Amino acid sequence: MSNIAGKAYAMNVITPMRWYKVWLNRLIFWAALKAPNVLNGLLTLSLIHYARWVIIPRDKFPRLDPSQPKEELEYSYMMFFSNFNGSWAQYVDSFTFAIPSGLDLFWKMNVRYPKSVPLTPFHDYIQHNQIDTSHYYTAYPMAASNDVKSAKNVKKALIDFNAASSNKSPDEFLEDYNKLLNQLQHDFGEMRPTPIVSLAAQAVKERYMETQAGNR
Amino acid sequence: MTQNLDLTDIQGNIVKAYGSFGFFKARYLFLRVDDGDKGRDFVGLITAKVTSAERWKKEAAPSVTTNIAFTYPGLKALELPTASLMGFPADFVMGMSKRKDILGDDGPSDPQHWDKIWQETVHIWISINGKSQEVIEERYQWILQQIEASRGVTLLEGHRGEDKDGNPVEDLPYQDASVLYDENGIPTAKEHFGYTDGIGDPVFEGQTNNAARVVGRGKLTREGGWEPLATGEFILGHVDEAMEYPQTAPRPDLLSNNATYMVYRKLHENVGTFNNFLDEQTAIFPGGKENKELLAAKFSGRWRDNGAPLVDTPDNESKAEWDKRFAAADVPTQKNMLTNFTYNDDISGAKCPLSAHTRRINPRGSLEYGVKDAFDTPGALVNRRRILRRGLPYGKIKDQTSDKGNHGIIFMALNADIKRQFEFIQQQWINYANDFKQGNDKEVLLGNHDAKNPGKVVLEVEEGSGKPPHFVCNIPRLVETRGGDYFFIPSITALKMIAGGIIDPT
Repeated sequence: MSNIAGKAYAMNVITPMRWYKVWLNRLIFWAALKAPNVLNGLLTLSLIHYARWVIIPRDKFPRLDPSQPKEELEYSYMMFFSNFNGSWAQYVDSFTFAIPSGLDLFWKMNVRYPKSVPLTPFHDYIQHNQIDTSHYYTAYPMAASNDVKSAKNVKKALIDFNAASSNKSPDEFLEDYNKLLNQLQHDFGEMRPTPIVSLAAQAVKERYMETQAGNR
Repeated sequence: MTQNLDLTDIQGNIVKAYGSFGFFKARYLFLRVDDGDKGRDFVGLITAKVTSAERWKKEAAPSVTTNIAFTYPGLKALELPTASLMGFPADFVMGMSKRKDILGDDGPSDPQHWDKIWQETVHIWISINGKSQEVIEERYQWILQQIEASRGVTLLEGHRGEDKDGNPVEDLPYQDASVLYDENGIPTAKEHFGYTDGIGDPVFEGQTNNAARVVGRGKLTREGGWEPLATGEFILGHVDEAMEYPQTAPRPDLLSNNATYMVYRKLHENVGTFNNFLDEQTAIFPGGKENKELLAAKFSGRWRDNGAPLVDTPDNESKAEWDKRFAAADVPTQKNMLTNFTYNDDISGAKCPLSAHTRRINPRGSLEYGVKDAFDTPGALVNRRRILRRGLPYGKIKDQTSDKGNHGIIFMALNADIKRQFEFIQQQWINYANDFKQGNDKEVLLGNHDAKNPGKVVLEVEEGSGKPPHFVCNIPRLVETRGGDYFFIPSITALKMIAGGIIDPT
């Protein structure tokens, strides 16, 4: 079991809500999507890969087979699912301080939601309702989402550059090359092992091995 | 100011940076408690001379100060109740050397290479700050007498330094520190690489009545003004930026109120390597020798000579013009010129690189990346990551071309939560850069650069100018950790209770 893979952390939080308030929450989600400025803060937090909120009505829980008995549930549930870079605390704290009112808006219909500030009751609420990740895989263990975005920028710009400039005279080529570097100046970060967010013995050992591998 | 602090209860080194009050010299002592009962008596004896944060009237200011702090093993040796000990956070309980994987203390900074004193368990830290070496020596002798009288504590030896004849030794019983003096014997605010240090120290609620001091040092408001940070970011028992009392406080409240945590780090500066590296890099930096100081400023975010912020002085011309205004200005205006800036008009880093030291340790409002009103407050990702910096340079440089010898900085950071504040800055902003969208690029000056696999930074240029950014490659390890630990600085009330053995968490 680990919530961590490479530089990424997976968080699942399932919180109960009164079934008759579901429509209100849907309305809030709908309004947020209509006015994307509301999500500016979330989008600016570059440690976040994505964050998704899904409401599961109490009679819509999936069954593997029609023969599986239906559950009688008291509450409907909201599932929050996010992948991010950095530690649990960094993520939750960033959320709390950057967009406290947005969080409160999304979660306020949920049972015993304490509000995002002060911090400790919010920490406790998330921790209490978090479901640990059993299996988690990352294709790029040394990449944060910012690194993936940068790599995509670099790849596209290089292909375009090659098509447009490869046959130019040396002077023009240099000029184009400098322009290319300028355009990509925020995409040249190194990719190395993650700073450890877990002091689990295995995590420390693995990071040490990766650092040594990089030295060869 | 909406909060009156009990300054007579808070230790003076928390609220005051003694260096800026004319205390240019310091001596740090480290002790082991051999006997709980006698150790507590010793704490009581020292407490009588502990300097509080009380405001000094000019004529009544002391010429020497004393402060005291404890490691977790120290508090245990003084026999604090287990229920109180269990209230301390894991980072403090573990101590600095066990946090090396988080702090990046590897290679030459690994605890196995630290000064000998750190190879054993340190319990107590005592600091003496003085206006002259004589008053320090006098207070030191007084402390030696108390150690002698108590028969329950041992002064630990094992600091690297020089003996009276200037020969290198490894077993000094104290760590001396001092401001650096210029060629005319005038005290300066410089460290051994030549940078002007300690300008942008944070200001918190209750620390000052002077609104001008908050500018550029508190927290940035949406309107572009500055407010003091919440007291609880730096002192336990007060509300913090998360609108709650710090969660790192042990019980009872009387043990933790008006206390804080201190990070003590002895940082050796590889002066020869730095000078050589700066010259090498200058040779390939646009403008060459004429821009040597500009390049040095690009590493730090401030110019070496007077600390001018690079965002306001991005080239030699603007620097010359700034210097003229600075020279003509009165002291309050000068202070304002040094601290009153943000990076909001320099999101790309063309003026002050995203890798620059001052920008990494305090990005001000720039983690909003210029997105209008992205966060509830511009400093949302910054206000909980600030540290008070205390401390002084140590040692003298004999040879500017060599790393050998003992010279560097005694770095002390004060905060309410070591993990959230000091360790976060060290791990995420100095040795890593995802928040700055620069992958693993480490900060040039303090980063734990790896000789076998050296890193680089990109010095950004004006976007769309067609000019290439400048790459600074093969960065060597410029600063090495030589020792340190995490300490708890109790209030004066708590000191008396520790001494009396009456800490009771029930």
